[in-house]
Amino acid sequence: MAKELKLPELGENIESADVLNVLVKVGDKIETDQSVIEIETDKATIEVPSNFTGIITGLKIKPGDKVKPGQTILTVDESGKRAENTKESVAQEEKIPETKEKAQPKGKQEKTTADKPAGEKKIIEMKLPELGENIEAADILSVLVKKGDNVEKDQSILEIETDKATIEVPATVGGKVIEVLIKEGSKAKVGQPILKIESSESIYQKDKKTESVKEVTKPEPTEEEVRQKGEVKSFLPGEIDNQPPITRGAAPAAPSVRKLARELGVNINKVTGSGPAGRISMDDVKAYVKKLNLESVSVSGVGIKQEALPDFSKFGSITHEPMNKIRIVTAEHLGYAWTTIPHVTQFDKADITLLEQARKAYNPKVEKAGGKLTVTSILIKVIAAGLKAFPKFNSSIDMEKKEIIYKKYYNVGIAVDTDHGLIVPVVKNVDKKNLTELSVEMGQLAEKARARKIGLDELQGACFTITNLGGIGGTSFTPIVNSPEVAILGVSRGSFEQVYIDKTFKPRLMLPLSLSYDHRIIDGADAARFLRWVSEALEQPMKILLEE
Amino acid sequence: MNKTQVVVIGGGPGGYAAAYLASDLSKQVTLVNLDKNPGGVCLYKGCIPSKALLHVAKLLNETEDAKKWGIEFAKPKIDLDKLRNWKNGIVDKLTGGVGLVGKQRKINFIQGKASFTSSSKLTIEKKDGETEELEFEKAIIATGSQIATIPSLDIKSKRVLNSTTALDLPAIPKSLLVIGGGYIGLELGSVYQALGSKVSVVEMTSGLLPGADRDLVNFLAKKIKEKYDKVMLNSKVTEMKEVKNGVSVKIEDKERKVTEEVYDYVLMSIGRKPDTSGLGLDKTSVKVNQRGWIVVNKQMQTDDPNIFAIGDIAGEPMLAHKASHEGRVAAEVIAGHKSAFDPLAIPAVVFTDPEIAWAGITENQAKEKGINYEVAKFPWAASGRALTLDRNDGVTKLIVDPESQRLLGIGICGPGAGELIAEGVLAIEMGANLTDLKLTIHPHPTLSETIMEASEAFFGQSTHMYKPKRK
Repeated sequence: MAKELKLPELGENIESADVLNVLVKVGDKIETDQSVIEIETDKATIEVPSNFTGIITGLKIKPGDKVKPGQTILTVDESGKRAENTKESVAQEEKIPETKEKAQPKGKQEKTTADKPAGEKKIIEMKLPELGENIEAADILSVLVKKGDNVEKDQSILEIETDKATIEVPATVGGKVIEVLIKEGSKAKVGQPILKIESSESIYQKDKKTESVKEVTKPEPTEEEVRQKGEVKSFLPGEIDNQPPITRGAAPAAPSVRKLARELGVNINKVTGSGPAGRISMDDVKAYVKKLNLESVSVSGVGIKQEALPDFSKFGSITHEPMNKIRIVTAEHLGYAWTTIPHVTQFDKADITLLEQARKAYNPKVEKAGGKLTVTSILIKVIAAGLKAFPKFNSSIDMEKKEIIYKKYYNVGIAVDTDHGLIVPVVKNVDKKNLTELSVEMGQLAEKARARKIGLDELQGACFTITNLGGIGGTSFTPIVNSPEVAILGVSRGSFEQVYIDKTFKPRLMLPLSLSYDHRIIDGADAARFLRWVSEALEQPMKILLEE
Repeated sequence: MNKTQVVVIGGGPGGYAAAYLASDLSKQVTLVNLDKNPGGVCLYKGCIPSKALLHVAKLLNETEDAKKWGIEFAKPKIDLDKLRNWKNGIVDKLTGGVGLVGKQRKINFIQGKASFTSSSKLTIEKKDGETEELEFEKAIIATGSQIATIPSLDIKSKRVLNSTTALDLPAIPKSLLVIGGGYIGLELGSVYQALGSKVSVVEMTSGLLPGADRDLVNFLAKKIKEKYDKVMLNSKVTEMKEVKNGVSVKIEDKERKVTEEVYDYVLMSIGRKPDTSGLGLDKTSVKVNQRGWIVVNKQMQTDDPNIFAIGDIAGEPMLAHKASHEGRVAAEVIAGHKSAFDPLAIPAVVFTDPEIAWAGITENQAKEKGINYEVAKFPWAASGRALTLDRNDGVTKLIVDPESQRLLGIGICGPGAGELIAEGVLAIEMGANLTDLKLTIHPHPTLSETIMEASEAFFGQSTHMYKPKRK
């Protein structure tokens, strides 16, 4: 059976890759998981394995091609092999069948109430009502009632603050508050239960009234009955369940404006309207698109005009070389980080005389396990502990939502110098691994990175980055924060220095550390404390053990 | 095998709108239609002929009303054949005209019945008996809906009419029972009532025009009660048989009491339903939901990427103007435009006397869905124009978002409501608020002022009605 091997998803935001090598040819017999092509993405070189076993009947790409996820790479004759379902699911996004099937007989809900035994009190869960266009949540400023209070319908029960206004929320029913489900100072979403109210008598009687009304109406035929009889009630014009979605908070925008948004690929509900009651104009849509574009363009410097380059050949001979993918991405990414993050670098030195002795003593043991105990691998462990002690260093900033995102996992990126550029593999879940494991893993990752064999998942998800230039030299440097992380630790070469200890100068091995951080979220004092903490942990490893 | 870029199956208002726009967008189009000319149910046996007859009904009613104004006419002489010919003439003129603009566009028109043989081919049984195979790039299914029937009551009798045969005016029945109090039954019922029949109506639910807001329906219900012989609500027909000079009908009321009566004619008008049988959908990946409608996305595309579906076959509301809008969306999508069916309001009009029209959210719906809303109403009794027509049996009603004061829905009852509703639809689509409506100068004296005055009433400032805003 003929099968098409398609390029799999390559990872977040990766839309295409360049084909470097085709490792097979037509007529080859390939096995599942055998590598068939080598591709280069923005982040790494990857070998793509086959999903099938069989004979290659056709190659659809050649080296130098650009391929997209989902694109067919080659065809395989899989005769005699289990048929795999390769049918691509068509983009389903818009295909959700609309609520056209809402065939539920009306009055069903009322019936359930009517079924209740007489005299039973009704407990009503009051929810946070719709607050207005595009408002999904609000801060609870104050709760005006407490458990046991009797409230009347329309009485204010909450004061909430949205980004537009402070609003009092009235009770939708009267009765006794039996439970308050939200707290002052918390955030509540529209539709979230806020109170439980035991409805008072009057409400109950009202229910009873509907009940008696219900008695005279004859029971609704079941759908099956209706179908058999052919008298499908909802064919009548009165059934207007299928009126369009204005009820679902549709954005106040004219059809022409909605059309423009659709054509520009903009979700109209995300556009802020400048007109009365948030009405959205064509200009609003255009401004929104411009804003989006600016955000994505800003990688080459926010609004900074590119200066024209001089003609260098006037001054001497030159050659041109295209940047490779890694260089382009590095340039864009660091340019973005540099322009968006207000950087400050804090310097410190750690006395690693004792640590160095211990490292040498334990290294043979780690080497047996297949790794190398290095200052970097020790730092990985120290940093993970530091992130626990200083959660702000394990966060990211969402300026659009004005939010700080705290991470509860501890992944540390290590900048690795390779022949083809800077690569930052990520050691995951550092807090759950011991030093030997970390050392082994670190060694493997660095090796893979240098051999261009690293997987994309091994390059993602870091919380913090360490860059160690000590092997080369230098006394200190100012690393750039690897956005969206908020801090990076630079390590320079350790050297013996005269340190005044116990009234005398002693030679101590001092390690220079440079911590660059995002000043938007981290204050100078915090940074100094963090780096001091790291230095002390290197000086007295017990510190980690005591605090972990 | 013949090839076409776009084939449209069904030439109703949705189908021909789709075909013509696809052609205007430089596609080569084939339109397959059962009738000789495009038009579908709407032009041949729905909207258009019924409106011709309703115009006559209105005229007859007004000559009656004129007695109150001191004008008396003799009893009208009704020449049924001439009336029928006049109505048929309108249909011929209109369908012929629609066919002509298709020819001018060089649309390949085939009279016949199409059935898919795969996701890219179909076979057409032509009117002339030949069969044609056709290969297409994209297809639009626009085959509409069928008259719904109740099998147990489906007696073969010339005296039992449906919406199609009733428009043929077989006779002016002495007595007519309309089964189903929806818009089709009430519109046709009023035609026969005006022509002189004693009309009764039987409706299963507790009110006429189920689903519409009661404050709108009430004016119509009152008028029908005056003019009709009997209005039987919460009742259903359990048995029918043809007897000498009529049809004997057993009707069971809400107390399960059964009465039997003989009517000269019976009109079955319980609605319409989709019918995909015979289309060969099993040869494609098109999916049909459990109620028989073809499942489509906002681009009107079915689960088969080459096949689109629009109009009644693609779901409710089953209205011509919704179908043609959907048809144009499908044509644009096929032409590569980023188009989508995303209206904020679809107007619904019942062409009874008085007319009822609404668009956007109804009050019933707002209540059901727990949407925060306010109602602003202006009774036509306070409208100068309504009084000059001697028609104070109307109301204009706005459903408003109290916070943004945006118009969410509009309902109108009264003569001409169908014409007036368009302003409300535009206001909803534009996201207009009540200040916009209030500050828009409406011509005096017209019924359209009632929309402006209802907006003023929202602020407690209606010039012609004193009703201060409650605090």
